[in-house]
Amino acid sequence: MNIVRSVGGKLAGLVLTLFLASLLVFFSRFLVPGDPLSFLLRGRKPSPEAIAAVTEQYGLNLSPWEQYLKWIGGIFTGDFGRSMQYRQSVSEVLLDRLPVTLGLVIIAGLLITVFGLAAGILAAVKRGTWVDRTVVVTLTAFGAIPSFVAAVGFIALFAVQLGWFPSFGSGEGFWDTIRHLILPSAALALVYVVLIGKVTRSAMVEQLGREHVEVATSRGLTQAAVVRRHVLRNAVGPILTVSGMLVAGLLVSSSIIESAFGLSGLGSLLVHSVDRLDFPVVQAIVLLVVAVFVAVNAVVDLLQPLVDPRTVAGAGAR
Amino acid sequence: MTAPVISNVPEPSSDEPTPHRPAPRVRWKTPRWMRGTVLVWIAAVVLVVAVLCAVLAPWLAPYDPDRIDLMNQYASPSAAHWLGTDSLGRDMLSRMMHGARTALLGPLLVVIGSSILGMLLGLLAAWRGGWVDAVLARLFDLLFAFPALLLAILAVALFGKGLVAPVIAMAIAYAPIVARLTRQLVLAEKQRAYVSAYRVQGFGGGWIALNRVLPNVTPVVGAQSTLNFGYVLAELAGLSFLGLGVQAPQSDWGSMINEAQVGLLSGHYLPAIIPAVAVVLVVVAVNILGEEFAERIGGNKA
Amino acid sequence: MSLLEISQLTLDLPGGKRLLHGIDLTVEPGRTVGLVGESGSGKSLTARTALGLFPEKAKLGGSVKVDGTEVLGLSGSALRALRLSDVAMVFQDPRAGINPVRTLGDHLTEALRLGEGVSGEAARKRAMELMEAVRLPRPEKHFHQYPHELSGGQLQRIMIAGALMGNPRLLVCDEPTTALDVTTQAEIVRLLATLRDERGMGMLFITHDLGLAGALCDDVVVLAGGRVQERGDMAAVLAHPTAEYTQRLVAATPSLHLDDAVPSVVSGASLPDGAGSASAGGRHEAAPAASQAGAPEAGRGTLAGDGVVEPLLRVEGVRRTYAVRGKDPVTAVADASFVIPRGSALGVVGESGSGKSTLARMVVGLETPDAGTITVAGKDRTGTPRGREARLAHARSVQMVFQDPYLSLDPRIPVIRAVRDAAALHADGRDAAAVAKELLDRVGLTAEQQQALPRTLSGGQRQRVAMARALAVQPELLVMDEATSALDVSVQAQVLQLVTELRAERGLTVLFISHDLGVVRRVCDETLVLRRGEIVEAGPTAALLDHPAHEYTRLLLDSVPRPDAGWRLAG
Repeated sequence: MNIVRSVGGKLAGLVLTLFLASLLVFFSRFLVPGDPLSFLLRGRKPSPEAIAAVTEQYGLNLSPWEQYLKWIGGIFTGDFGRSMQYRQSVSEVLLDRLPVTLGLVIIAGLLITVFGLAAGILAAVKRGTWVDRTVVVTLTAFGAIPSFVAAVGFIALFAVQLGWFPSFGSGEGFWDTIRHLILPSAALALVYVVLIGKVTRSAMVEQLGREHVEVATSRGLTQAAVVRRHVLRNAVGPILTVSGMLVAGLLVSSSIIESAFGLSGLGSLLVHSVDRLDFPVVQAIVLLVVAVFVAVNAVVDLLQPLVDPRTVAGAGAR
Repeated sequence: MTAPVISNVPEPSSDEPTPHRPAPRVRWKTPRWMRGTVLVWIAAVVLVVAVLCAVLAPWLAPYDPDRIDLMNQYASPSAAHWLGTDSLGRDMLSRMMHGARTALLGPLLVVIGSSILGMLLGLLAAWRGGWVDAVLARLFDLLFAFPALLLAILAVALFGKGLVAPVIAMAIAYAPIVARLTRQLVLAEKQRAYVSAYRVQGFGGGWIALNRVLPNVTPVVGAQSTLNFGYVLAELAGLSFLGLGVQAPQSDWGSMINEAQVGLLSGHYLPAIIPAVAVVLVVVAVNILGEEFAERIGGNKA
Repeated sequence: MSLLEISQLTLDLPGGKRLLHGIDLTVEPGRTVGLVGESGSGKSLTARTALGLFPEKAKLGGSVKVDGTEVLGLSGSALRALRLSDVAMVFQDPRAGINPVRTLGDHLTEALRLGEGVSGEAARKRAMELMEAVRLPRPEKHFHQYPHELSGGQLQRIMIAGALMGNPRLLVCDEPTTALDVTTQAEIVRLLATLRDERGMGMLFITHDLGLAGALCDDVVVLAGGRVQERGDMAAVLAHPTAEYTQRLVAATPSLHLDDAVPSVVSGASLPDGAGSASAGGRHEAAPAASQAGAPEAGRGTLAGDGVVEPLLRVEGVRRTYAVRGKDPVTAVADASFVIPRGSALGVVGESGSGKSTLARMVVGLETPDAGTITVAGKDRTGTPRGREARLAHARSVQMVFQDPYLSLDPRIPVIRAVRDAAALHADGRDAAAVAKELLDRVGLTAEQQQALPRTLSGGQRQRVAMARALAVQPELLVMDEATSALDVSVQAQVLQLVTELRAERGLTVLFISHDLGVVRRVCDETLVLRRGEIVEAGPTAALLDHPAHEYTRLLLDSVPRPDAGWRLAG
């Protein structure tokens, strides 16, 4: 019963967050002073038909709430409106760009999981030794490299100087695409490898100082068993929570990476659309990022009871 | 040794012993050997130099940062141009100095704004509790779904390019990070008997919160804000890199890297690498100082 | 051959600080050795070496032999074998010592399964047997439960069962009952005695409580500052301590003096002249109450006399209930009524969850009762005060000294300023700075300590500051909520002495809350016993402790660890 209640409560909270986020995304337009029509048609010389079309599409002659309901109702049926710059529906434009971003994020996610966890676990287990120091110094140094700097550096070193990878575009066919995506993914992953590595290390070091670890040691378990069953296992919760929080940042960073590597994904689309004053596309992408963030964190929240039985009882972590 | 602590906390698990000292927070700790004063001094020097460059740029810069000299593109470092020139023959050193102004001022404003806003909201949430806390918690949850850079991009989409809208947006985006930390710290302080002792002595709740509890959490929040400075600097530079922040011809480290991208493909690395190194150096310096700050507080608290 | 033989054991930290200075200690098979000392004495460090556990990078010297095998410098696998089947340890806090995210069954069986390759089914069978042996009610169910679903006492039984899984010959117990209530402590200690006798184990029992050691141990080693102060037969050491340190410890341990006729602190101290008459006055006023309290009606004790003088504190029908999410509301205090005559000291005794702290918080105005009234010196002081005037008036009526000395002082404020601020708020024309100085002098802080920040002071010094701060307000009633329970016994004795002196000097009225009957005996004229929010018995302290009327009071008394408690014999 407890599980149903706590899960239900969490899901309700997430739906509420999503609802509030949609309000924020939609009504942000109303913060701009002046006529909404001239805002939406900034920088364009619209024909009377175009004005009529935009007025109709946004329901600009309706009340703000009716406008919102029309917009959100459209989103539920997959209609995000029409792009100003491409003369296509926004959803078509988005679907076009989705694969590249998806590929980028998946490869980056793999890199982050593998290298982040490995670095964190290694440093924690060998804490206080030169291995730990090396990992910590490396992480600290890499952590200070913003993704656009990493992108520029990788292009200069691996693409231009060494010529190992292409520097531009997203390639054709599966393997070529992968080859084109490796460098951008690495640049995207860099900061997040550092963050996951640090969280893993500190969560594990924190557990290592706990009494239950000493108890396990006192009972004759091998160090490997203690680390696996009592340190890493207990550190999963915090690592998972932090990972969930990082997802939104990862998606937004991809806009920088895609721009730097000339990839045509959602991130570079966002930047282009801001540049070209294509507000419907901006709105759709922002809402998409928020929705993905909320969904991922919903999954993390649902996994928590499996990771830490105390979260069900509401007893709180100690 | 822990002496017997018998309390009756009105909660289901009432036989849990009250911990004597607060449990250590999960926080990244720089190992002792890395906190050498040498490293801290180097970081401080880097930061002071950057700030001096920014403040004194109009007097120190050897050239007009926007002076184009097409006869002198991609010049290598020399006595005339210490850091060389860029694709339009502009003096890199002068551009770096002027670029430091926007690169540092933006993050500074964001950190000040987010710290004030976040501390007040966090204090309010923790101190009042109840529905105030619940509403604010929901608000923080909402803002966490909007990463700072996304909110900044949205602000640019709404209000146009430049630094003003993104700085305000990022101050709002960073406020919940500060607020959550403040809330958590204030809640922990509130549990401590000294707060009850002030109440029993007859001091008012508002006075205790503002004059006694807030100063006790400020150092930790300050350390977090220092670290935030590094992140904000990187993100605002990223925004300029995307062409959405500081606009040409004004120079900014981020937009300089952006402009240098074309030259990169033809092997002209310096115009991109110099601002990149500057960004990384300042971020590292700020992080080292922030960690040192946090470490000292940690040492003093026990 | 001795089961455990520690000789000339030294331990140095990497910084060069020596924590153990040549410890000698022997445990024979079937014997129980008490290792007694205050915090920082090195008792835990010493005992842990028997399992090859010591701080990373610490340098050890001397020898630690288990059954003739040298433990120091043992290889990894030999050390694991030792821990699996020769020596086991029961830790202090089972809540921290059992992994919260694994089932209890996993905790019990993991060493057998992973270490000795015993099959899951066999390990499970053994766990069931041992859960029966430690008298857990539902082994089948507990096997699949998580630690947070059990009480502290039940968890400690799990911890003990876990330690016995490998059939150890030596059991090291590190303050195994310190985190538990007194009645639970008594059950666990009796259980340990039974298991030890059934299995013929040797036991090394670490405790800060000389009384507890006296109740369980055959021999004793007293440790202070990393050195052995005294060793010998338990009863002999208690009866005739030879080392000066042990003598002080024996004198300071409250549970050893439960039967003393006169509170030893008062008798032993050279009190100012006014002392005798003041405490005599307290007794006198309490007298009419005593006759009534002798026959508590329906668990509702009342010390209220139709007294000669209006009592200073009058608590009438006070009730406090907490709503608990998803469960029935908890009644912390139910219908409490009692009075404290001016100048007297009332002890409130109870275990955790008895509502004694809630009662204190209501009296000082940190919480509002759901029903009932609280009156101090004839003025209504029910509930949290609203507005500046009400706050100050309430503060002048009641002040409080809190339990934890590490949390009750503002870490950022020098102690003299803390006291001065309190005095200044209630100045009434007094010079706050002078008041602060005088009070801190009185409680025994040096000028240097007065300027210091709290973190540089010891626990005992901090509680002295807390008392000075409370007195700076010049309250009529002083509430002390477990104010000495976090202190070492010798420090506790000094602070209790100070309380007695201050009462005598200033005619203070005190509400003294404690879980420790021995402490209450030293300080309080009258005592009431709380159980689950209800007053079960009340009366003059000596009468109540010597002739308890209620069975719960008797249970509490029987649970106080004493050499003559009869726990040493199984059952």
